[in-house]
Amino acid sequence: MEFPKILTRFENIPNSRALATYEKHGGYEAARKVLGQKPEEVIALVKDSGLRGRGGAGFPTGLKWSFVPKSADTVYLLCNNDEGEPGTFKDRYILELSPHMLIEGMIIAAHAIGAKKAYIYTRCEFYDEIRWMNEAIEEAYKAGYLGANLLGTKLHIDLDHYIGAGAYICGEETGLISSLEGKKGQPKLKPPFPAVSGYLGKPTIVNNTETLAAVPWIITHGAAAYKAMGTEKSPGTKLFCVSGPVKKPGVFERPLGYPLKKLIFEDAGGMIDGKQLKAVIPGGASAPVLLPAEIETLTLDYEAIAAAGSMLGSGAVMVIPHDQPMMELLRILVNFFHHESCGQCTPCREGTGWLANIVQGVEEKTALPEDIEKLYQIALHMEGRTICALSDAAAMPTKAITKKFADELKQTIYANSRLGG
Amino acid sequence: MDTFAPDLQEKIQSELTRYETPRSAILPVLHLIQDYYEWIQPDHVAWLERDFGLSRVHVQEVATFYSMYRLEPCKPFRILFCDNLVCAMMGAEKVMDKIRDHIGSFPEGKCPFSLQGVPCLGVCDGAPAMLVNKDRHLKVNRDNVDAILASYKV
Repeated sequence: MEFPKILTRFENIPNSRALATYEKHGGYEAARKVLGQKPEEVIALVKDSGLRGRGGAGFPTGLKWSFVPKSADTVYLLCNNDEGEPGTFKDRYILELSPHMLIEGMIIAAHAIGAKKAYIYTRCEFYDEIRWMNEAIEEAYKAGYLGANLLGTKLHIDLDHYIGAGAYICGEETGLISSLEGKKGQPKLKPPFPAVSGYLGKPTIVNNTETLAAVPWIITHGAAAYKAMGTEKSPGTKLFCVSGPVKKPGVFERPLGYPLKKLIFEDAGGMIDGKQLKAVIPGGASAPVLLPAEIETLTLDYEAIAAAGSMLGSGAVMVIPHDQPMMELLRILVNFFHHESCGQCTPCREGTGWLANIVQGVEEKTALPEDIEKLYQIALHMEGRTICALSDAAAMPTKAITKKFADELKQTIYANSRLGG
Repeated sequence: MDTFAPDLQEKIQSELTRYETPRSAILPVLHLIQDYYEWIQPDHVAWLERDFGLSRVHVQEVATFYSMYRLEPCKPFRILFCDNLVCAMMGAEKVMDKIRDHIGSFPEGKCPFSLQGVPCLGVCDGAPAMLVNKDRHLKVNRDNVDAILASYKV
């Protein structure tokens, strides 16, 4: 399958993070091209490309940009670089390869939505990447790509880097906005959507790092070239993070619609130490687990994975080996979501706590086999009842694991109980 | 000392005007204080209100909400070990046991390390992964972990 590398085109290029390297390979040409165009034209082109948000939700990017009210005087662009979905490490890779690609994408997006101020919000654990990003921003200012009269135009776009402090919920766009306002990272009720009322009540567009980094290529090569890759409804390429006991874990850029098995068994080299595939989590911790039979012909695009009962999410493909007890994964998942629940909404705060308590009961030998059904029922009632999607994110994988591995989980409980153990 | 060191005061002041509102500076200011003093002390929160006008309530709620702020005295070297899905599948718990042994090998009160399990660090291709203060270590296993820790000396 032949396709141009977009996001990973700086792989194997020495000193790829430097501005000089980026410019040598056509960097900032797209920004130069766009700044002479009307914002509506830029939005139309990105809409036409079919680019969808790569943070997990897959919302059409151009359409999101078009929601900013035309009359707005102050508009903000925020880059969600708070990469925290377990199993995901693609945005980190973009910063490692080419932070300038992100900056250029942000200049274009800021021009399209009329933002004079943009922020990148990065999780604080990315110490090296934060330094690289800061260096790139400084270089871009010095070279006149940011600030007043950028690239000799009358435009003024400022870009700053804001560092989180360890909260998964800040990866949710309104939680991120709360955090940038100097508050607890609690999500806000939608509507109003951030495009209308976001950071400090002003129209705000929040885009994922990978989404923004794809924009310069789309501008340079056109919507048709982007749409030529991927599927009709999921065009373009995407970064897939393959992790777990495979021979070559890592980030792979592939066209959407790429076969999942090929990714795992060819590109990532298959399983290590003669392990067998037990299950796959195809899109981050909140994506429901899939069995080998379910991925036989599965392709990596939003529609196909949704049809299989899971989600493409962030593109984090976690490979689970045959000797991995599912109770342990379930325990990690529910404890994670319980810890990361911001506590605003009762179904999430209490629900994740109940899930965690029940699973804890296995270790304490108080759990009963019927608790597996109870976990499923609790999860069922945690969906669609809260301000943000964290509750759903905890419920979906819980439902899938307790349903698909009910027998194994019950056996674990029995073996670990006073009766069995 | 009844306020921040002069060089830190200067940095705090510039953060307060860097963003649209002073309140947005709370997270960055707490990072600065933590980097300077290792942990955020109750006095610091009081000084931010008295000397810089940042509401004690606003600062305290941020300091307690985000897990990377340390509100108690800490060891010189803080190990944050990822115990989430991928690192767990790749043997995090066994490595953490080894680290616990390492920590236990010091005479009482002399260990410079603390160990904490944390959610995904975003480096699952290098699982199991850990941070020691701001240093990232990948593919940490029972065979190499002692040597890594031995490189940290007070």
